[in-house]
Amino acid sequence: MESSEEAAVEKCRIHLRPGTLRDAPPATLHLLPCEVLVNRPTPVQCFFTPAIRQGPDGLEVSFRGRRLRGEEVVVPPSLVGYVMEEKGEVLVGKDPSVGSSNDDEPEQQELVEPPEALERDFDRFFGATGSFSRFTLWGLETIPGPDARVRGALAWPRLAAAVSRRMSPH
Amino acid sequence: QQSKCLLILQTHLFFFPEHLKDASKKMKSGLMFVKLINPCSGEGTIYLFNMCLRQLFEIKVFKEKHHSWFINQSVQSGGLLHFATPIDPLFLLLYYLRKADKEGKFQPLDQVVVDDMFPNCILLLKLPELDKLLQHVTEEKEIDKKKYYKYSKEKTIKWLEKKVNQTVAALKTNNVNVSARVQATAFFSGDQVSSDKEEDYICYAHGLISDYIPKELSDDLSKYLKLPEPSASLPNPPSKKVKLSDEPVEAKEDYTKFNRKDWKIEK
Repeated sequence: MESSEEAAVEKCRIHLRPGTLRDAPPATLHLLPCEVLVNRPTPVQCFFTPAIRQGPDGLEVSFRGRRLRGEEVVVPPSLVGYVMEEKGEVLVGKDPSVGSSNDDEPEQQELVEPPEALERDFDRFFGATGSFSRFTLWGLETIPGPDARVRGALAWPRLAAAVSRRMSPH
Repeated sequence: QQSKCLLILQTHLFFFPEHLKDASKKMKSGLMFVKLINPCSGEGTIYLFNMCLRQLFEIKVFKEKHHSWFINQSVQSGGLLHFATPIDPLFLLLYYLRKADKEGKFQPLDQVVVDDMFPNCILLLKLPELDKLLQHVTEEKEIDKKKYYKYSKEKTIKWLEKKVNQTVAALKTNNVNVSARVQATAFFSGDQVSSDKEEDYICYAHGLISDYIPKELSDDLSKYLKLPEPSASLPNPPSKKVKLSDEPVEAKEDYTKFNRKDWKIEK
């Protein structure tokens, strides 16, 4: 049982719907200098966004009583940022860790997609639900500044292009 | 008994090259994430295929401790950022060619690129101009209009040397500071670009490329380029500075979460 599940994992393809890339509405993003250990909807617009102030040298806000200082990071024009979500059918009810709380969920709609050669029954599906070309980078007490690691990461694609550029044979 | 639910399983932030957005206008499908061999580590890693433009992308993950995202009206832990960047598929093909070379004979490509662990490797055979690509690293024979290939170490090392040279050029145009040793001087002179030595650039480029080839080949390349042995007196050899996160994170790590049963499920 376990080994056949493993095999399915390696065979699996996660399809990304190309159409969602051009229709994705702009998303507002903040990178916080702390770990919030949950993934869930949260009223950012009620508590966080209205508290942002333009200080003498950057943005200021507080989160859980701590002062944050921040600045806008503009993504290089060669890159597009996307918020991607995986939506899919999940079998529930058999495995207790997936959630007995979902036991009473009615059977919902099937994914209505035309069958394509590259798509198989056990595959999964992703779509972009938002796009961004900038985000707000926050630091605790101080502005993260030009040395912020995330800025270095944004420079990576240009180097990767050099490493992977194909050469024509002589 | 079991029932089916349509759920949001995961949210991820991705950076794509801009041209993918334009290309998506013409595509109905054919963009997909699959697990393939990582030619450096030999482990499974997630790659992105664009079967329409027939391109392969690698996924790197930026991860720094103690970060989270606010995405519109939701919170996402971890603070991860995924980068999809084009990768030369020859790095992956090379892995299989070297493996097949143990048999020491010429073989057709569809018998070389075979992998029980990562059956999606057959998608590599659909990439364009493989023939031209393979000339860099193999000897070939044609019998009855069918091509047979054999790994050539000599050609591979020369191909890798060219890769190093083109990476050095990119490091220079992008003003990447390649040497930990010059930082103090640069601090005073403010002229770090000219104080970087050619050898530092080559070491750095060699380090970057070593992330795409097996260790053995990396060592051979190092000898061929006559690079100094990594010495203990330099705590931060330049080749070790290239990484996106404070832990060695490959896309593999995050994507395996998809496959576990402890998904954070939201409706």
